[in-house]
Amino acid sequence: MIDLQLARVGKRYKLRSDGNEPRRWYRNAFSHRSAEMWALRDVSFDVKRGEALGVVGHNGAGKTTILKLLSGITTPTRGEITIRGRLAALVEVGSGFHPELTGRENIYLHGAMLGMRRSEIARTMDSIIDFSGVAEFIDTPVKRYSSGMYVRLGFSIVAHLDPDILLLDEVLAVGDVAFQAKCIDRIAELRKKGCTIIFVSHDLAAVYRVCDRALLLSHGQVVMEGAPRPVIDQYQHMAFPSHQPAFGELDASRRAECVSVSFSSPVSDDSVRTGHPITARLQYRAAVSIPDVVFRISLYWPSGYLCAQLTNESTGQLFTLTPGSGAVEFQCPILPVVPGLYRVDVAMETNGVEIDLRQRCATLCVEAGKPVSGDFYIENTCSLRPESPDHS
Amino acid sequence: MGAEDGPFAVTGALRKPSALDWSAATDRAQGDARQTRVIAAPKFSIFAVFLGLRTLAQYSDLLYTLSLFRLNVRYKQSVLGWAWAALQPLALMCIYTFIFAHVTTVKTGGAPYPIFVFSALLPWLFFSGAVTNAVHGLVTYPNLLTKMYFPREIIPLSYLAASLVDFLIASLIFLVLMVHYRCALTWNALYALPIFLVLAGFTAAVGLFFSAVHVRFRDVGLAMPFALQLWMFAAPVVYSVESVPIRFRHLYLLDPVAGLVENFRRVLVFGAAPNFPQLAFSSSITLAALVLAYLYFKSSEATMADVI
Repeated sequence: MIDLQLARVGKRYKLRSDGNEPRRWYRNAFSHRSAEMWALRDVSFDVKRGEALGVVGHNGAGKTTILKLLSGITTPTRGEITIRGRLAALVEVGSGFHPELTGRENIYLHGAMLGMRRSEIARTMDSIIDFSGVAEFIDTPVKRYSSGMYVRLGFSIVAHLDPDILLLDEVLAVGDVAFQAKCIDRIAELRKKGCTIIFVSHDLAAVYRVCDRALLLSHGQVVMEGAPRPVIDQYQHMAFPSHQPAFGELDASRRAECVSVSFSSPVSDDSVRTGHPITARLQYRAAVSIPDVVFRISLYWPSGYLCAQLTNESTGQLFTLTPGSGAVEFQCPILPVVPGLYRVDVAMETNGVEIDLRQRCATLCVEAGKPVSGDFYIENTCSLRPESPDHS
Repeated sequence: MGAEDGPFAVTGALRKPSALDWSAATDRAQGDARQTRVIAAPKFSIFAVFLGLRTLAQYSDLLYTLSLFRLNVRYKQSVLGWAWAALQPLALMCIYTFIFAHVTTVKTGGAPYPIFVFSALLPWLFFSGAVTNAVHGLVTYPNLLTKMYFPREIIPLSYLAASLVDFLIASLIFLVLMVHYRCALTWNALYALPIFLVLAGFTAAVGLFFSAVHVRFRDVGLAMPFALQLWMFAAPVVYSVESVPIRFRHLYLLDPVAGLVENFRRVLVFGAAPNFPQLAFSSSITLAALVLAYLYFKSSEATMADVI
């Protein structure tokens, strides 16, 4: 059963030099050449019932346009979208609020805009107020609300919709930790009920976690469709191409540079797994001879925090480079980080002076290996040591 | 008992496959019960009217809620509150009475001038108020258009519904005035209701059309106060239709507002039956205008979020 179908959908926007202003009759017609832009071109895909589809792509690839088309805010220029069932969009919660109205009145208004019946809203009213946690202020105009209360109230209305299809934007990125947890719980609950999900996000790790299938958009076209892993890899490959111009030609101003970085597992053939050994290999090229070189390979969480770093500085063993190319290899007997996607930075320095730094030049995808909960796998051996029974 | 067990046993045996069939059937039924919506480029066809009305009916609760809230917020943070609904027509009545009964005089057909002018200000202020609010309504909260989906005509229509309440309040004032001037209503006054309905239809047509144009060309909003002022003097509000020279009168009454205002006054103040040919003419113009305005609105609605 297909819940959602896009058939050769195209969306054209008109770009004018002065935004959306109509052309004034007294201005020279030639000074206002209106350009066109196809935000989406010939996009076709199906989403089956109960499936979670992730949509990834760089800024301007057409993700927001897809959301707007699916929620009916705007219509396609070409093609057709077929939607089977009630669709709810968890996008910019609370944007339909009227500042002068009280929280309660806004629940009615916003609920009605989302297509709820008044009776339905009245029935779930208490539960909505309860969920939002703003019960105390429910009869205060929302213009007096803090932005957090605003978002919480908005979300709790949407959370009480019972959609067949759910559109998710970067909702997981807004709000405090508790709010995010509520979002995630609710989404998990809806998934269990068999709700179809479209998830549009930059948070690749979340796409990997939530979705069964992913779609890669680029310049308004679907360039890849399939299991989340390869699609995300392809996206990252596109976003941070490994064949950057600088990787090819040796920059004359630099004395040396990093050429590439790769991770492999000496045990299994391809995958890098938690708790298994890993080899990280950083290739470099040097123009002159440089003493006391430090190499660093940094792994970043999807959230942007530094997770771990591999460096020869920690062993106190500095290298002296001679002109030419080569590689430095880090052998790690155990990879302690949890499964997920990590961004990789590589750097090279000598005596505290940076020689080369490449940010986000690669991705490390760690797959499930040894069972782990928490952030790290801690290698250990354990044994049971019963005390001998007291016979005295 | 055994005879009864028999059929039961058979039913039990049949139960499994039939239950499976039944669940498959409900699955299909549920699939059909889920409404299928097709989003495509808007087509300017008469079919769009029916499709639009069907969706509008689904969102009728929103229209109701939104109209209620228009009323709720309209006089928020104002001291006089609802008194404003009565003040505006009363003030206009006073100034027009001063000008057209004391400074100069117009033929009223024997009715006291305050009654004469108020009976026309009632429908006129409803029309102009609803149109003004409706035209600005769509662009007042651009967030609603760019972030949420619902049939957009609900916004101008909710302003129209809210103006209805102002109209009712002013009507009460009118009844008080009638008593004060000892004018009696006749049974013909009941015609005011269908006349008003036609006027509401025409108001909806004008509001829908110009609010949609306003999203693209803000000239509409800029021209609106001035255009409505001209329109008022082009309609028999402060003067009687009898004052219009005969040779202009047919042209004059092409305007449904002029015809409806005149008929409204006729049935209320003069207690006469409405001018039926004129009413029929105004109604047909209204119907045509309403269909065309709605069609235009629906075809323009599709890209409103892109141009606002």
